[in-house]
Amino acid sequence: MKLGYTIIYVADVPATVAFYEAAFGLTLKFIHDSNLYAEMLTGETTLAFAGNEAAEMSGFAVRPNTAKDLPAAWEICLVTDDVAAAYAHAITSGCTPLVAPVDKPWGQTVSYVRDLNGCLVEIASPVKG
Amino acid sequence: MLIPAHYHEPLLTPNAARSVEAAWTFVATTKGRALVLPDGRCDVIVRFNAHSDAAPVPVLTGPATQPYEVSFEAGDTWIGVRMRPGSGVAFWGDRLWQMADHAARGSDAIAALPELAAVIDMAPHTDALGRALLDLPAVAQAAPCGETLQAALDAQHLTGGRLAMASLARLSGCTTRHMGRLFQRAVGLSPKTYAQLVRFHRAVALLTDGHLTLTQTALEAGYADQAHMSRDVLRFGGFHPSALPAHLSQPGFFA
Repeated sequence: MKLGYTIIYVADVPATVAFYEAAFGLTLKFIHDSNLYAEMLTGETTLAFAGNEAAEMSGFAVRPNTAKDLPAAWEICLVTDDVAAAYAHAITSGCTPLVAPVDKPWGQTVSYVRDLNGCLVEIASPVKG
Repeated sequence: MLIPAHYHEPLLTPNAARSVEAAWTFVATTKGRALVLPDGRCDVIVRFNAHSDAAPVPVLTGPATQPYEVSFEAGDTWIGVRMRPGSGVAFWGDRLWQMADHAARGSDAIAALPELAAVIDMAPHTDALGRALLDLPAVAQAAPCGETLQAALDAQHLTGGRLAMASLARLSGCTTRHMGRLFQRAVGLSPKTYAQLVRFHRAVALLTDGHLTLTQTALEAGYADQAHMSRDVLRFGGFHPSALPAHLSQPGFFA
């Protein structure tokens, strides 16, 4: 088995795609006609967004991601060489600041924001060595 | 859930199914009975028998929280429209709250919705009757239920009725008191009762599916334990989780 997809359930798939393009510079791979599902161009492991209704269609119940609630206890991590610039850009693009860039003892710079749906997004530099 | 780029079949989404008044028809080909599970919605129904001269009977229901057992003969026919949750107010106005688990039949139904008098004369022409029910002013002109109540109803279904009322209100952007008033006015049930119905229907769907044990079903549906699930299934369905009735009729809305 290998990790194929990370699929985040959201209230509005097109709005989330537009937000991720603007705030994090990701690119849309495709969005389904129904606007219920979209994949981003993220290489071998796909980051995808599915409409909340897709969870209900599959027969399970979920706690929806929303900025009004506590974030769910998991995150996606985006990697860049210039964390400070990416963090500042994310915030001017509508992300909620959470943890400003900080240097870790192992030589990595990390920061955290919440996206439009309240999901945790870490913006970090690559781990060297 | 993943949807491939090349898949182009139209998808009927749960929200879309909840956003229209749903026309339905049942024609009995043999004598029998059905157990209809409550789904908290109001129906306008015309019942008649194609082989009998008896006058068609109009029925206008309030939001149901109780199961009801229907016995029928060959030829018995029901033509109905199930209102969106939140549209029951279009039939009942300020009386909606009192109509929970009540129905008006015959002249009482016509007194509540006078336009029904002309519609029942269309029996036994099922297609014309179905169209006429959808064209009733109370059905065709039922107003959307408003953004906050819609958000609360969507959140109820998304979470399988498992959220505490305070969390549900926060997700819907209002106070619990305000949410209670919105449900009382437009749905005719408390948000808590509606949540219990949603949870009950998820449990029944899981039980019907039959892949989980009773304990697993109870936990997945959001009950504290199996006994808790049994109490709710008995209350809303009238049966025990281990003995699903064979003549169960699930409203399409929750199925």
